Amino acid sequence: MDIRSQISMVFHLDKCIGCHTCSIACKNIWTDRKGAEYMWWNNVETKPGTGYPGKWEDQLIYKGGWEKQDNVLSLKGAGKRKGLSNIFHNPNMPVIDDYYEPFTYKYLDLIESPAGDDQPTARPVSLITGDPIDIKMGPNWDDDLSGSPDYARKDPNLANLSPAEQEAMFQLERMAFFYLPRICNHCLNPACVASCPSGAIYKRGEDGIVLINQNECRAWRMCVTGCPYKKSYYNWHSGKSEKCILCYPRIEAGHAPACMHSCVGRIRYLGVILYDADKIEAAALADEANLIDQQLDILQDPFDPEVIESAKQNGVADSTIRAAQFSPVYKFVKKWGMALPLHAEWRTLPMLFYVPPLLPVMASLSEVDNTEQAAKMGDIAKHWDDNWLYDTSTEELWGSIEQARFPLQYMANLFSAGDTEKVKTVIKKLMAVRIYRRWKTVGDISEEKSNETLQQAGLTASTAEDIYYLTSLAKFDDRFVIPAAHREQAIEMLEDTGDKKGSAGFGFKEGTARRGP
Amino acid sequence: MAGYTETKRVSLLGLLVTLLCMIPISPGYAALPGEQNFQQHCGICHTVGSGKLVGPDLAGVNERRSQEWLETFVKSPQAMINSGDAEAVAIFAEFNQLPMPDPLLSAAQIKDVLSYIEDVSETLPNPTAAINPPAFSQPAIDQPIDTSVEIEDQVADVSTQATTEQINHGRDLFQGTVRFANEGPTCNSCHDVRNDAVIGGGILSKELTTVFSRMGGPGVRAILGRPPFPVMQSAYLDRALSEEEIVSLVAFLQYADQEQLNHQPRDYGIGLFSSGLVGTAILFGLCSFIWRGRKKGSVNQAIYDRQVKSISDAEFRARHS
Repeated sequence: MDIRSQISMVFHLDKCIGCHTCSIACKNIWTDRKGAEYMWWNNVETKPGTGYPGKWEDQLIYKGGWEKQDNVLSLKGAGKRKGLSNIFHNPNMPVIDDYYEPFTYKYLDLIESPAGDDQPTARPVSLITGDPIDIKMGPNWDDDLSGSPDYARKDPNLANLSPAEQEAMFQLERMAFFYLPRICNHCLNPACVASCPSGAIYKRGEDGIVLINQNECRAWRMCVTGCPYKKSYYNWHSGKSEKCILCYPRIEAGHAPACMHSCVGRIRYLGVILYDADKIEAAALADEANLIDQQLDILQDPFDPEVIESAKQNGVADSTIRAAQFSPVYKFVKKWGMALPLHAEWRTLPMLFYVPPLLPVMASLSEVDNTEQAAKMGDIAKHWDDNWLYDTSTEELWGSIEQARFPLQYMANLFSAGDTEKVKTVIKKLMAVRIYRRWKTVGDISEEKSNETLQQAGLTASTAEDIYYLTSLAKFDDRFVIPAAHREQAIEMLEDTGDKKGSAGFGFKEGTARRGP
Repeated sequence: MAGYTETKRVSLLGLLVTLLCMIPISPGYAALPGEQNFQQHCGICHTVGSGKLVGPDLAGVNERRSQEWLETFVKSPQAMINSGDAEAVAIFAEFNQLPMPDPLLSAAQIKDVLSYIEDVSETLPNPTAAINPPAFSQPAIDQPIDTSVEIEDQVADVSTQATTEQINHGRDLFQGTVRFANEGPTCNSCHDVRNDAVIGGGILSKELTTVFSRMGGPGVRAILGRPPFPVMQSAYLDRALSEEEIVSLVAFLQYADQEQLNHQPRDYGIGLFSSGLVGTAILFGLCSFIWRGRKKGSVNQAIYDRQVKSISDAEFRARHS
């Protein structure tokens, strides 16, 4: 047992409204710079859709992540042999047009143009060349475009869905979509770290944040290929690669990362999770069928005395262990089993978990007679001529799961490496909590029925209350349990703080004429 | 930092020693005004009464030319040659069209130097007798090939036998396989020599195959010791060649001169160029085969191709006129 700590995250997709506030917060803080305009360390995608960069999930194109061959794990597109043979021209990299050409508008033309016959317009200009361009693409160009032939129907996750299932997904009345916000997963087995020929990328020991050392990076861009999530970006201006740093300066100061802090839907949770580093290799090499189980098995119970003992031996601070015990991530992922990793089949062991969405799934359409209802409406009320009911009731307990508007297989392709049972278990829990709360607040469901659903989903009433609390009511400190960074200990490793004590007491960064340098 | 300065000091000292060794010191003369300048600026290429080196023997030059002519010439020989002065051009032609660098002396200093030459010339028994160059062995081409050649050390008047090692060392220095001790640039960056062992010398400067016949050992030595050419001067500023390196290079150049007829670098003509073309084509073909599965273009290309492009101002006017 080799227990270490990791700052881990849960995104609750049912709560995401797709407002992109997280993306803007991140952009404003970190990537509003020359060379980084096209980067979105945080982006929100519409699913089904091709995402950003286009078709990033199609590893036949981008060759990202790991593959298991003869019980040996190797990088798909990088690594020693492949990396070396392609080092001067990496053949699998996304090009700028796979992302989009960043642009702005010449707003000054609106107020500075001389008087003329026509209204001045603000022409779009490229942020790369500075020349006027025709805007071709943006980072969320497929926003809300479910069913579109260019985006939704080219979603790589549709690969092993039957044609009938695919067709059903895009029928006009059944069409749906949900949002998938993405940041760097700060993986336990990061392919970017393994693919870097310069050794510039590292995973921080104390909290597992994956960072690129800007002094060491030599622009080989193997991490861009290596990361299957395409969350490492090349800055063409600085000649270095960059990625999400999980706002570590904020985390060290006890603040939530900017994307999480600003989240309107409060979908994001962040906390410490303790994991057993000895199990990483086996989990990364797990059989297809056991991928999810083994990946979640790495994460350990922070209340287990053995785990605590081993963590302490590894220098994990008491405050960190305590934070792990209050971690919302531990609750969602391990205690309640409601969050799953995104694309576990790439074997990077991502430490960002998603609660899959229930909302577009759980409804059925049935024919009803609306005449009685229509008669009650006044003259100015809007009259609906159709006789369809968008039915979210639960006559058949789990029936609507099977007939979900998103086939379970689609969800499974995203969140459970194709295993529909795993996703189904989670969705059942989500639905059980919903039915339980509906009994409590609306009262159109009987207590027996509510208890039955809870029992079948493997939950108790008190657990359902806890889930409800953390999902809907949780306050800032419930959602973000950030341990102290213990910078004082880090400083003590580098210098003897006793030397400073009693000497200056009031620091000078620069010399003065009187005191000297 | 300290180490660097020290090395520099040592190399300067080496330069000084080298220069001093190469200056012919005529015994019996006290330092006359102009003597120092003569030795520093002129003595490498000229003698007074000891025969031709790189430039003519200056014994009795004050009798052969007018004082005015001498002063103008010494001030800037190249300006005088360029101005078309018949005598200056004749000298230039006679001495291998090797321009004498401007010595950068003041008019007074030049006068001192000239008077020093005059003084020395007067003490010589017969100024005209020394015009012929002293004999140094001009290697005969039809001599049996012997890798060791004789080097005349005219200046120190010591004959040394160049060994095969020296020739090889000289070749290595010329080619840059062995770096000069003071890190001066390698000869073949600018020069070429016809020798089978030398591959592709530079074409920036003179081809040196026959330099030994043209200038003789002392001439070559003099140029290597204190280059008269501005480019070479600045290239070897603070990076002077050592005495041992000069000897090796002279040995190699003499050997190359002597052996030039036996060394005929093959001329591949158009064959070389076309084989390069074919090779490139094969290389590109191989690369595109090996990387045939590479990602080509953007995944969004089909979308972009369908997008309607805005039209240029000119096109807009044409449509709406």
